Amino acid sequence: MITTSPARIVEDHHGITEQPAIDVRGLSKRYGKLEAVRGITLEVRRGEIFGLIGPDGAGKTSTFQILAGVMEATSGSANIFGRAAREMRSQTGYLTQTFSLYPDLTVAENIRYSGNLRRIPPHEITERGLQYLQLFDMDRFADRLAGQLSGGMKQKLALVCALVPQPRVLLLDEPTTGVDPVSRREFWDVLAHLTEEGLTILLATPYLDEAERCHRIAFMYQGEILQIGTPTELCTSLGAKRIELRTADLRKAESMLSRETGPDKDIIDVQRFGDRLDLLVRDADKERKWLTEKLKGAGLSVDEMRVDEPTLENTFVARLRALGRKADTIEFPAKKDHSSLRGQVAVGAANLVKEFGTFTAVRNVSLQIRNGEVYGLLGANGAGKTTTIRMLCGLLDPTSGTMELGGTSGNLRSEAVRKRIGYMSQKFSLYDDLTIRENLDFFAGVYGVPEEEREEKIRWVLSFSGLQGKQDQITGSLPGGWKQRVAFGAAIMHEPDILFLDEPTSGVDPLARRAFWTMINRLADGGAAILVTTHYLEEAEQCNRLGMMVAGELVAEGTPSGIKSQQSGHLIEFIVDQPQRAADLLKSDTERWRVSLFGERLHLIAEQDPATAIQQTTKRLEENGLHVISAREGRFSLEDVFIAIVEQTRPQGKPVTQN
Amino acid sequence: MRRIVAQARKELTQIVRDWRTLALALALPVALLLLLSVGLSLTVNELPLVVQDFDGSTASNGLIDAFRASITLHVVSWPVDKTAEEALASNAARAVLIIPSHFGRDMARGVNAPVQLMVDASDANTAKLVSGDASQITSAYNQRMAGGMQTGPVQAAIRLWFNPGLSSKKFYGPGIFVLALSMFPPLLAALAMAKEGEQKTILQVYVSSIPAHEFLLGKIIAFMAVALAECLVMSLLLFTYFGLSFAGDPTPVVIATILYAFCVAAFGTMIGAIIPNQAAALQAVAVGGFLLVFLLSGLIFPVENIPEGLRWISYIVWGRYYIEIVRDALLQGGGWPAVWFQVLIIGVIGAGFYGLAWHGMRKMQVKA
Repeated sequence: MITTSPARIVEDHHGITEQPAIDVRGLSKRYGKLEAVRGITLEVRRGEIFGLIGPDGAGKTSTFQILAGVMEATSGSANIFGRAAREMRSQTGYLTQTFSLYPDLTVAENIRYSGNLRRIPPHEITERGLQYLQLFDMDRFADRLAGQLSGGMKQKLALVCALVPQPRVLLLDEPTTGVDPVSRREFWDVLAHLTEEGLTILLATPYLDEAERCHRIAFMYQGEILQIGTPTELCTSLGAKRIELRTADLRKAESMLSRETGPDKDIIDVQRFGDRLDLLVRDADKERKWLTEKLKGAGLSVDEMRVDEPTLENTFVARLRALGRKADTIEFPAKKDHSSLRGQVAVGAANLVKEFGTFTAVRNVSLQIRNGEVYGLLGANGAGKTTTIRMLCGLLDPTSGTMELGGTSGNLRSEAVRKRIGYMSQKFSLYDDLTIRENLDFFAGVYGVPEEEREEKIRWVLSFSGLQGKQDQITGSLPGGWKQRVAFGAAIMHEPDILFLDEPTSGVDPLARRAFWTMINRLADGGAAILVTTHYLEEAEQCNRLGMMVAGELVAEGTPSGIKSQQSGHLIEFIVDQPQRAADLLKSDTERWRVSLFGERLHLIAEQDPATAIQQTTKRLEENGLHVISAREGRFSLEDVFIAIVEQTRPQGKPVTQN
Repeated sequence: MRRIVAQARKELTQIVRDWRTLALALALPVALLLLLSVGLSLTVNELPLVVQDFDGSTASNGLIDAFRASITLHVVSWPVDKTAEEALASNAARAVLIIPSHFGRDMARGVNAPVQLMVDASDANTAKLVSGDASQITSAYNQRMAGGMQTGPVQAAIRLWFNPGLSSKKFYGPGIFVLALSMFPPLLAALAMAKEGEQKTILQVYVSSIPAHEFLLGKIIAFMAVALAECLVMSLLLFTYFGLSFAGDPTPVVIATILYAFCVAAFGTMIGAIIPNQAAALQAVAVGGFLLVFLLSGLIFPVENIPEGLRWISYIVWGRYYIEIVRDALLQGGGWPAVWFQVLIIGVIGAGFYGLAWHGMRKMQVKA
């Protein structure tokens, strides 16, 4: 156990000692035999964004419910500003995973109801409600029913409801699941602002690129806290480096290097991305040489090799692996061979247009997906992704344009074509009131999995989902992440050679997500054509090719590195003494999207050359009494590029979210 | 107080927002009232009767005429070559009257002149009515034949009270009114409460410091309002289409109605609080609100007819007491002296439901 143990009385960054905002000591929660939380201890300072990360079932939600005062602890204490959490409910705002909004009430009614429950004077509810709605650019929608809002807007409304009573502590339990990257970035900007005003935030998220924006993080596993520290501390504590390797044949390189990989070997982990391999190694210099020789010896080119710090996701997965949690499952019992199809055009769409009444949901989308390829379709909510997928798999007829599926362009809904297609929709329809086994039997039957293969296939799905022995559990009782795994398994049981996955990993923890992608890559290696959508751009890097949609149009297409290299400008990372003030200042100078905060770090996308940009910005900040601790050129993340593309399209009059 | 109002207001907004719910709340009770009280009629008339006359005399024709004059029975023709049993088996007739030959001769001689009446007794109630009616007709016929001279020593002079026209509409109308009130408001209340659990919105309520009493009262008040609105709509119908009016002091029924609205709203809320699942809560309300009140409250069958083993259940069926109060107000007019106890009991049962709901919610915490 590696704990950077915090002092009982902590110093904030102004050097004043004060009481911790959240103080949890030896907290335990037991449900019958199951011990969900086992004696955790943590302190969160006033004005801090503190992240709680961990796999499904780590005890995060239980911790949140105890801190929100809606559940009793079995033992230990959970205090907020020195008093028991339950007594401090008037000072706490709690966002549940499902947002706890009333879908049949309007935005304004939801705000009023939650304000009234806390006895906020009516005029304050109206004033502050409006103020926050304006902040989120949602005041136009005050009379819309909450049930008709997009995921991102629901999340913002829930936040408004929680903020109107002016809480001192905000508890956010996976607030960004199902929320698109643009909304998510806005959300984080707001959070950063709020902490600057003194609000304390405790947040859980399964997405670790997002967790990097927290000031400090606690890594939770099986009800215990294993590690607490800043994202940088956590990443360096692993004592490893990350090597990005680009080579012509990723599949071959991966399978070769995997044999040399293990928690106690020199290469800790190998992860395959769309156009590169990420290796987690103990000694970067030694491994560089060794790798070059090894690959050359196998006749593989080394196109590029880069050393970088491990990401939080690397760290997380490596830690879990070291704890013996394996993402490996029994081998997929493949009965069909699609490898002869490799390279053929599986999905071919030309100039697809879909109009709903006067609204054009999709305009002139042309794309091709070949067998053996993983194609990622990205876009904000309402950009037309789901409509496009429905047209691509033949569920919806386009208004105009041509579609070809698996070599046929006639009847796309014929049984022969449908047999070759797999589709996992956003809210995959497993039957909640059937057991897992009954669901799998049903889908195996519907998809026409041959009788003699069924047993084996179902066994594989259970092993893939980590649910062996639990097959008679009622599906509805599973946490979302697990259901998603069963749904994914069910969608590929019949070994389709064209697979559509609409947000397959939403709410799935990193290790399971890794298993998803290993499987997706394996299916693609076997000759299947796969289309995936996701809101998480770190994950999108695992696709071979990406398409980005804005307002119904495909605005960018290419490999992950290709898209990143097309982005103009440079990314500069500053570390300053007052990051929020610095961000506000820079935002007032330039377009808002060019500036974003990641915990203590400030990212700026500048059009000038890096040296000039650093010089000018530093001068600007120093003139305003801000001290720059360090500045360097960083590399664009896919998310930076995506946001930039969306934001640059916005001024051209294209609505980003359709409501 | 403010939180109670906020809670009630939120519930009412949700009800009004969804037109289906609103229809369920207001239109269905009216439909139920019209359908059941018009369709549900236990007075029988125009029951088909087949007559096989093997005599064909003046006397036999006289007897048949007496049957023809009955409201309850309706003489239909039947081919002579078919047997009487066939008429019953094919449902062409509910009863068959067989007049043997020599009937006229025996009458004239003044000896016993038997006729046979075969009654389809698969429906026991109707069979009783038919045989009773038939014996009345024959004894009246006897008297007439005897010249109207001989009268029995005892003569009952019957006068029908409270519902002189024996209109079943007036009897069932109030009953169905009570049934509708016992069913729809608690159904809505239970669904609304279970939904909070299902959609996890209850967490938001728990996070605020609203006490269980205020939360429950707010909900109950909203569904009381629904119940009272239903009551108003249905009363209009009772006073117009059903031709009913207050028979005496209306205060007991007014107070009982408010208490009853509380009782049913608390019942639904309690079910929803205990069973946080809409489908299951719906069934629980269907059993409690509909089955019990329909079968064990004296709505159709008099409570006295319920077998003793089950009769005790009827003592806790809240609808039973309210039916007595409503019928008293609209038919008998006994006022407070007649129904004070029933009003009290409704209040007690309502408080019981509220107590149970509160017990389930008192911690305002996630059950674990």
